[in-house]
This record gives sequence, C-alpha cells and structure tokens, in this order.
Amino acid sequence: MKIVVCVKEVPDMESKFNIIDDCRIDESQVAFKMNDFDEYAVEEALQIKEKFGGEVIIVSAGPDRIVKDIRQSFAMGADWGVHINDRDVDSGDSFVLASAISKAIEKIGDVDLVLTGVQAEDDMAAVIGVMIAEMMGLPHCTNVAKVQIGDDKKSITINRELEGGLNEVLETTLPAVLSIQSGINQPRYATLPRIMQAKKKRLDVERGAELGVSELGEAGSKTSFIKMFIPIAEHRAELIEGDPKAAAATLVDKLKNEVKVI
Amino acid sequence: MSRILVIADYRDGKLSEATLELCKAAKEIASGLGATAAGAVFSKDDSIANELAKYVPEVLSVVDPKLEKYTSDGYSQAAKAVIESQDVQGVLFAHSYDGVDYAAKVALSVDAAIITNCNKIEISDGAPLFTRSIYNGKINEQRKIKTDKFIATLEKGAYDKEEAGDAGTVTPVSVTIGDIRTIVKEIVETMAGAVDISQAKIIVAGGRGTKDQDKFNDVIVSLAKKLGGEFAGSRPVIDSGWTEAARQVGQSGKTVAPILYIAAGISGSIQHVAGMKGSQCIVAVNKDPEAPIFNIATYGIVADLFEVLPAIMEELG
Repeated sequence: MKIVVCVKEVPDMESKFNIIDDCRIDESQVAFKMNDFDEYAVEEALQIKEKFGGEVIIVSAGPDRIVKDIRQSFAMGADWGVHINDRDVDSGDSFVLASAISKAIEKIGDVDLVLTGVQAEDDMAAVIGVMIAEMMGLPHCTNVAKVQIGDDKKSITINRELEGGLNEVLETTLPAVLSIQSGINQPRYATLPRIMQAKKKRLDVERGAELGVSELGEAGSKTSFIKMFIPIAEHRAELIEGDPKAAAATLVDKLKNEVKVI
Repeated sequence: MSRILVIADYRDGKLSEATLELCKAAKEIASGLGATAAGAVFSKDDSIANELAKYVPEVLSVVDPKLEKYTSDGYSQAAKAVIESQDVQGVLFAHSYDGVDYAAKVALSVDAAIITNCNKIEISDGAPLFTRSIYNGKINEQRKIKTDKFIATLEKGAYDKEEAGDAGTVTPVSVTIGDIRTIVKEIVETMAGAVDISQAKIIVAGGRGTKDQDKFNDVIVSLAKKLGGEFAGSRPVIDSGWTEAARQVGQSGKTVAPILYIAAGISGSIQHVAGMKGSQCIVAVNKDPEAPIFNIATYGIVADLFEVLPAIMEELG
C-alpha cells in the first residue's frame, strides 16, 4: 500500500508570540516542531504499513527549517518524502497549499491513502485534507478516530468523531483522504538507530511551478491576509499574587468566604 | 436580493445551538451588505426546515431520502445546487464536526473562497472582513476574500443565539442527488457506562501541564478527592491515556457546569472552554501568563501548578 502523510512544521504553542509589522510572528523567538495532529497521522500510516506492507511517504511544504521535522517522520519509520520548498507556496493561502500538495501526490502516483492531521496548530484552518480530496476527486473523512482497512486493501471502515463522545461509523473504498484526530494511537518515539537511518532516506525537493500548480502566491490565493494581532480579552481573571503558599492561602480564603463554593 | 445563507447543522431531528448562532450572524452580515438572511436544510423531510423558519425569513429545503443521514457527497451536492441556483452571496457553516467535514468541499465546488473558524465577520469598505483565531487562540488574524461569493465557518459561541420569531417561508429546492461514496453504518458512544462527571459540584481538571500520568494522579486526583469532587482532563490528557475518556471535558467530551472548576496546566483552547465555560467559579493555574484560560477564569494564579496545588491541599488541612 502506498500511503502519503501530509505533515506541517509549526511553532511550539507554549512560546511567547511577538507580532512584527502586524503581519508575522517573530520566528527568532520561537521553537518549531511537528504539528501534534500530524504525529498521530504518521503513526497511523506506520501501523497500516506494518499490517499490509507498502511504503509511507511524507509530503510537507515550508522553508529549509522544516527538513528536521520531515526527517523526524523518517526516524519514526516513514520511507521517503517530498519537500515542497517554495516561497510562492508559503505565501499563498490554504487553496494554494492544497493545490501544491495535490500535485505532489499525483506526481508520486498510485497512492492508496492520504492522511493529514485534523488541523495545523498555527493556522487552525482544518481544510487541507478536505480540499485535497475534492481536488483529486477522492472520498474523504475528517476527525478520524479509528481506521480499519479490509483484507482486500480497498474497503475501509472509519470512526468519525462527533460532539459529546459520539462516533459515526462509516464505510468507503480506497483511495481516500482522511484527516486524523489526536488520540487515535500512541505515536512511537524515534530510536537512535532510526534517527541515523533517517538522514540517508530519500527527500525530493519540489517547487510549485514545476509541479504544475497554476495558482501560486498571493495572486493565486482566494483569500487575502489583512493583519494579525493579539486579541484584547473582554474579561481577565482576578490574578492572585504571591508565592505559591501565599497564593494558595488567599485562594482558599476567597473560595470559602468570597464565592462560598467550598 | 442576494442571500447570506445559513447551512443548518442538526442531529437527531434537532437544530444545533450553533445553527441558531449562525442565524444571528447571517442577519447582521446581511444587514451590512444590503442582503437578506436565509437558511438551507438538507434532509429527508421538511421538519427541520419548518423549525429553522422560526429563525430566518426564508428557508430553502432540499428533501431527498438520500439526505436522511449526513454524508459529505450528498450534502455537498445539495449545497452546491442551492448556492448556484439561488442568488447567494455568502454561506455560513458551523465550525462543527459536520461543518468541517464538507464546507471546504462545497467552497471548491462553487469556486468560492473559504475562511474557517471565524470569531467575527464585519463589513469594511462594503466587503466582509473575517476575524479568526490562530496559534491556539493566542493570536487573531483578519482576512478578506477575492471571490464573488464567500463561505465561512463560525466558531461556536462567536455569536449569540437568535431568538425564535414569526415563521418565515419554506421553499422546496429540487436537486438530483447523484453518487454518494460513503455509507453511514451507525452512531456509537465512546463513553457509555463510565463515570458521569457532569453531575459533580466540584471538578479539578488537569491539562498537558501536568506532564505525566503519575504527576496527574499526584496533584489532580488527590486535590479532587480532598475537595470531595471529581477529577477530569483536557483532551491531551485523554489522548495520552492518563485518564479515561469519560473524564474528558470539552467539545468532543463532556460539557460540565459545576459550582467550582479548577483548571491546572490547561491552556484554555476553544474546544476545552466550550465544555466548561458554564461553571460558576473557575480557577486557573498555569505558568503561561498568556494562556487563554485566564480570559474566562474567575481567579487565576500564574505559577507552577506543582507548587500551587500541593499548597492548596495543605491549606485545606
């Protein structure tokens, strides 16, 4: 089976974010890592490969710094990958990104399954998997909590997460695109031998134009970015100051005597 | 007159609260654009459409046995047919599990821009301006669209719910639903027969900041027991297997509204907050002063939870 996993490198969300010129974050102040959801997707792909055989191929778009996270996927066990390294893709919106990824997957050819994470922790758009499916004419499912592929390697039963702890169970046939929800599995750690092997695995570099993407950059986007800002909260908690012991004492006093909840 | 169209989000024959929020948003946006608010329902009969007509002046109803259960293929075809046959300027979906499953598909099929997870849609220079949460809610971005039509998904709670009023019109729209590539088999519960934390008066919840299962048990479970309440976790805690799924608070878990909710090591993502914002008194303990949880908490302590929670335990005697 040929499984493509789309991964994204994102900033660590516990970083302190400073915005420069109302339009970008100060990257010098943040650490980057693999998008949490994508780790679950890589693990899911590896488990499917372990059961059915085949290869797991990583596709990722971004600047030079994302190579370390692509290699982390290799260290988990992915076989090879495609790095879309193109500022005209990075400067485009989700539509441009999905177009580039779709073209890369088509170039790989004969792909049975495409996995993405539910969303990227930074842009929180949650559209790439759905867009890729529509662009490639494939069935899809989002928020996937469980995957069972039949022995025929064609039929697939999926649990789609719903509100309030419910799952919808549905069936479709491969090839398909799934966006994988966190908690579906326990992503494996990369062992040291695997990390060494990862350095030698094949990583192709592509650019949007060469892949045949006709709409690139801001010109090819369907949305325009206006600005970004730190939102001003309408409400702010009453912050209790002091060292932990003093703060705890003040809090317990307030809970007992002010709001009377204990 | 062109329409700002609300796509009904419903389950078990009932409109979701999110749909009522979309109706309020649609009316505001329509008013700013000189358009009119309308709704669209895709279903096996008119019952949901008749219900939605209490909240918007016009409902377009697509009825077909193939639409009895939500499928992305079925509902996308219905949506595309409605959007292309009626005068529609903008379409609003809930950023719900169903909405997220097909809004972008519809957008591509009608060649419209899509902007998801919006917390506000205003009119600026005669065009819609979309504000949305990014970076786990720490930052907002604003976008505009370059296409004639727009599709947007709205964050839960971004708008208040519209009140029911006089019944609007329900107009059937005939659509030929073609190929559907997925088959819905059943709905299953993943938390059945387990503890019901939604009944607890006091809840102590731990998040990613509690670091591992042993520490979670040490600080969260102990404090909950000391207070005579229940312990719970945010999504990452359940994903990592530190506690059972029935103890997850949030959009995909339980909704709780206890008298006291203590959130330790929880950043306060929209999905988590959706499950506990009805709590009477919220205490947040987190070492990140920028954690969004401090924007909904009653009291906050910006410090290491591993020092604060044991200190609270000691203070309680």
